Amino acid sequence: MKGRLGRYLPLLVIWLPLLINAGHVVGFTAWTTWLSFTPSDLLPEYDWAGIRAYRAVLRSENTEVAYINLLLYGVGFVGLTTLAGFVLAVLIDQRIRAENLLRTIYLYPLAVSFVVTGTVWSWLFNPGQGIQKFVRGLGWADFRFDWIIDRDLALWTIVIAAVWHGAGFAMALFLAGLRSIDPDLHKAAQIDGASPLRYYLRIAAPGVAPIAISVLVILLQYAIKTFDLVRAMTGGGPGIATTLPALVVYDFMFQRAQLGRGSAAAVLLLLSLLLVLLPYYAWAHWRARKERAANG
Amino acid sequence: MLVRRRHLLAGAAALAVAPQAARAQAKPRVTFISQWSSGSDGAAISGLGKRFEEEGGVWQHSPVPGFTTDMMNKLRAEIIGGNPPAASQLKGPEIAVWSKIAPTVNLDPLVAAAGYEKLIPAELVGLHKPQGHWIALPMQVYRTTTLFMSRPAMKKVGADKAPKTWAEFNALATEMKKAGIIPVANGGIRWDDGMKLEIALSGINCESYRGALMKLDPKALKSAEMLQAFAQLRKFADWMDPNIAAQHYSVNLPKFLKGEMGMLMMGGWAQGVIKNLGGNLDDVLITSVPQDEGKPVFVLNADSMIFWARKEPDLTAGQQLLAKLMMQKDVQEKYSQTTGSIPVRTDVDLSGSAWTDGQREASAVLNESFKSKRVLLSLAHNMAQTNPITAAMIDVLTEYVHNDKVTPEQGVARLAAAVDNARG
Amino acid sequence: MDKALRPGRWLLYAVLIGFALFSLLPLVVVVLNSFRTAVEIGRSSVIGWPEGLSWQNFTEAWGGYCIAQRCEGISPYMVNSLKLVVPATILSTALGALAGYSISLWRFPGDTLMFTIVVMGVFLPEQMKLIPWALVLRELGLTNTLSALVLIHTIQGLSFTTLFCRNYYIGIPQDLLKAAKVDGAGYFRTFWRIILPLSPPILIVTVIWQFTGIWNEFLYAVVFTSGQQQPITAALIALSTNGTVVTNYDVMSAAVLIGALPPLLIYLFGGRYFVRGLTQGAIK
Repeated sequence: MKGRLGRYLPLLVIWLPLLINAGHVVGFTAWTTWLSFTPSDLLPEYDWAGIRAYRAVLRSENTEVAYINLLLYGVGFVGLTTLAGFVLAVLIDQRIRAENLLRTIYLYPLAVSFVVTGTVWSWLFNPGQGIQKFVRGLGWADFRFDWIIDRDLALWTIVIAAVWHGAGFAMALFLAGLRSIDPDLHKAAQIDGASPLRYYLRIAAPGVAPIAISVLVILLQYAIKTFDLVRAMTGGGPGIATTLPALVVYDFMFQRAQLGRGSAAAVLLLLSLLLVLLPYYAWAHWRARKERAANG
Repeated sequence: MLVRRRHLLAGAAALAVAPQAARAQAKPRVTFISQWSSGSDGAAISGLGKRFEEEGGVWQHSPVPGFTTDMMNKLRAEIIGGNPPAASQLKGPEIAVWSKIAPTVNLDPLVAAAGYEKLIPAELVGLHKPQGHWIALPMQVYRTTTLFMSRPAMKKVGADKAPKTWAEFNALATEMKKAGIIPVANGGIRWDDGMKLEIALSGINCESYRGALMKLDPKALKSAEMLQAFAQLRKFADWMDPNIAAQHYSVNLPKFLKGEMGMLMMGGWAQGVIKNLGGNLDDVLITSVPQDEGKPVFVLNADSMIFWARKEPDLTAGQQLLAKLMMQKDVQEKYSQTTGSIPVRTDVDLSGSAWTDGQREASAVLNESFKSKRVLLSLAHNMAQTNPITAAMIDVLTEYVHNDKVTPEQGVARLAAAVDNARG
Repeated sequence: MDKALRPGRWLLYAVLIGFALFSLLPLVVVVLNSFRTAVEIGRSSVIGWPEGLSWQNFTEAWGGYCIAQRCEGISPYMVNSLKLVVPATILSTALGALAGYSISLWRFPGDTLMFTIVVMGVFLPEQMKLIPWALVLRELGLTNTLSALVLIHTIQGLSFTTLFCRNYYIGIPQDLLKAAKVDGAGYFRTFWRIILPLSPPILIVTVIWQFTGIWNEFLYAVVFTSGQQQPITAALIALSTNGTVVTNYDVMSAAVLIGALPPLLIYLFGGRYFVRGLTQGAIK
C-alpha cells in the first residue's frame, strides 16, 4: 500500500500544477481561436461567423501599419540589443576593473517595468521638456530631437527605450555563454599568438551561437508582445504611427469592444509568433540529435 | 461557464425600482466606478460623493486609473464576474450597447416623479432610454464647438471680434500667421483630431453633419460639404504648431494665454483646464465656432451614469438616492460649476457670479439650438456612434491630420471605407 | 606592457562608460527630479540639478499624494504589491522547481508534450487572456481580490519557472540519481537530499525573474482589483495619465522611484547571482 501511494503521490504533485498550466494554455488559446470565428462584440457569443472577423481585421488600417512597424521595430530592437549585448559581454570579459559595478549598471533596467520605462523615456524624448529643451537650454538653440512626435521617426524612440531595457539581459546571457567556454581554449589561442579579435570571431562567437539563438528568440517574442511600453510612451501615436500588433489586439478587444475581431487579431499575433518559434524548435531538435549522435 | 448572449438578454429585463425607499433598512450605499480620478472631473465626482454622504449614504467610488478603455475593461470584467457596480460612468450609444449585456435598473418612476424628462434636450433623452425606459442619467453637458480666442493674440493683429464664418476664420488665421502667431492651438491626440473635423463639418452644414456622422448615410459621407470639411481640416492641420503637433492641447495653453497662439477650438471643459493652470479667463474670448449657415449649432457631449441591477437592499436604496440627487438642480449646479460644463436641466439660471460668461453663452446657444432643432451629437467624444465605428473613423481622421500627403478627396474616400469596414 | 595604457584599452573603457551613461540616464533623471519642484522642472527641462535638497516629494508620494481621491500616497499600494508578489513568487518557483525536476529527471509518459505546452505559455500575449481569466475568476468567485492575482500569476508563472528549472536540472549527472535510487530514495527524498542543495543558482534566477515580472505587471493588476487593493503599478498609472492636467513631474518621479525600489534592490544585490545562475545553464 505504501509503495503504491509512494508511486502515485509524486505523479499527483507533478501532474496537477502542470495540468492546470497546460490546461490554461490550451484552453485559452482554443477559446480565443473559437471566438475569432464568431461575431462577438462586447461579450462572447458562440455562433459561427466564418472568417468575417479576419477579413475586417486585415482590411483595417491599423493592422497594416502595425505589422510594418513590427518588422521595423523587431529588426531594430532585436538586432541592436543583441549586438549591444554581445559587444558589452565581450568587453566585460576582458578582465576590466569595476566589472561588478558596470554589470549592475547594465542589468538594472531589467528591474524597471515597461510602464515606467515608457513613461520616463517619453519625458526625455518630449521636445518641450526633455532632451531637446535641455540641449537648447545649454545654448544650441536649433537643436532638434523631436522624433517622438514625428510620424516617421517615432517608432525609433520606442526602439531606443526597448534597447535600453533589454541590452543588459542580452549581455548577461552572452557573458554566461562566454564564461562557459572552456578557458583552455582561450589559453591555447593566446599561446598560438592569435589576437583577441581572432579568438572572439573564430572560437567564442561560434561557441556562443546557441546562446545567441536563445537571445534572439527571447527578444523576438518580447518584441512581438510589446504593449505596455508603447502605451506608456506614445499611446500608439502620433496618429497610429507607432501602433504594434499587440496594441491592435487590445484596441479591437477592449477599446472597440469587438471581441471577435480582437480574437482574430490575437490569433494572427500567435501565428506570427509561431513563425519565429517553429524554426527555432526545429533547429534545437536537430542540434540535440546531432549532439546525441556525436556523443555516441 | 460559457456566457451565452441569449441568456444575458433574457436577464436584461430591467428591474423596476419603487420611488419610496420602502424596505431599505440598511444605510443606502452605492459602488461606483469611473475614470475620474483627478482634475476637475475628480473634484466634481467627489463633490457628488460628499453630498451623497451628507444625505446619509455610503459612497464607494473606485476610479479606474488610465484611459476610458481601462474603466470599460474593468466594468466588463466585473459584469462578467457577476459583480457589477451599482452605478458606473457610461455615455452615448454605448449605453444602449452595454444595456444588452447585463440587467439595468428601471428609473422611470423616479424620473417621472421628478418631472425630469421634459427638462432635457431630446437628443439626450433617447440615448438614455434605449429600450424604452430610463436606465441612465446624464450628468453634465459640454459643447464641443466652442471657439476660444486669445485676446493678446487678437490685439496683436488688430482683430476685435471673433470670426463668424469659415472664410473669416481663414482670413484671420492667415493674418495671425503673418504676425508670427500660431493660428490654431489645438493638440494632436486622437479625439482632438476627430473634433476638428466635426467642428468644421457642423460649421459648414448642420444637416450634412447629421446625415454623415450621425446617420452614416453614404451619400452624406461623400457629399460636397464633407469634401469642404476635409479641406478645412487640412487648413487646421497646417496652422497648428508642427513641433508639438501630437500632444494634448493643454501643453499649448501657456503660449495661448500669452498670445503666441491664437485660436483654440475645443469643448467647454477647456475653461476648467485654463483655470486650473492658473490662467486668467479675462484673457480669453469664448464664443461659438464659425457657422457658415448663420444660425448656431450645438454639438453635444454629455457624461452619464448607468445603473446596474443589484439585489442587495442597501445598494438599491443607494441607487435611488443617487438618481434622485443627480436630477436635482442644486447638485447639477455644483457639478457643472466645478467642471465648467452646463447643467443638464434646461431650467437652471446661470446668471449668478458662480457661472462664467462662457457657460452662459453656451447655455444660451443650447437653448436656441434646441428650439431650432440644430443640436448634434459629438462624433469624437463617442456620442454619435458606438466605440468601434468612432475608433475606425478617428483612425482615418488622425492619420489625415498628421500625414499631409493625404488629399481631401482621399480623406473622404478613406472615411467612407472605414465606416463600411467597421460596420461589416 | 601595462595593459591600462594600451589605446585599445581606452577605447574599450570609452565604449563601456558611454553605454553606462546611456543606461544610467533615466535613473539619474528620476532621482534628480524627485528632489526638484514642478516649477523648476517646468522652467528648465526634466534634466537638471535640483535647486534644493528637499525630501518633500518623497514624503508626499509615500504618504500624502491623492490618488483617486484617497490621499494616502502610494504606501498602501506598495503593501498590496508585496502581499501579491511574495506568495506568487514563492508558489510559482516551488512548483516550477518540482515540475522542472520531474520533467528532466523522472521521465513519464507525455512529458515532452507537456513541457512543450507549458513553455508555449511563455509566449501567449496577456491581452488575449484577459477575458478568459475573467470568466475563470467568476467561476471561482474570486473577482476583485488580490488572491485572484496571486492565482493568475502562479499559474502563468509556472511556464517560465518550469522552463528555467528544467533546463538547469537536465545538466545534473545521471550518476547522482542512480546512486540515490540504489540507496532506496524515492521521488521526494531525492529532491530533498540531492536536487535542492544543487538548486540555489537557478532558484535565485527564478525568484528574481518572477519577483520583477509580477511586481511590474500592469494590465491584470488594474482590471482584476480595485480601489484599496490595487498594487503599485495601478497607482503609478493613476499618477501619469492625467488627460486634463499637466503632469507633476516632481511627485511622479519620487513615486516612480519608490515604486521601482524593490525590484531595483533585488537586482542590485542579486545581480551577480543572476548572471551566475544563467551561467550555470538556465537558458539552453
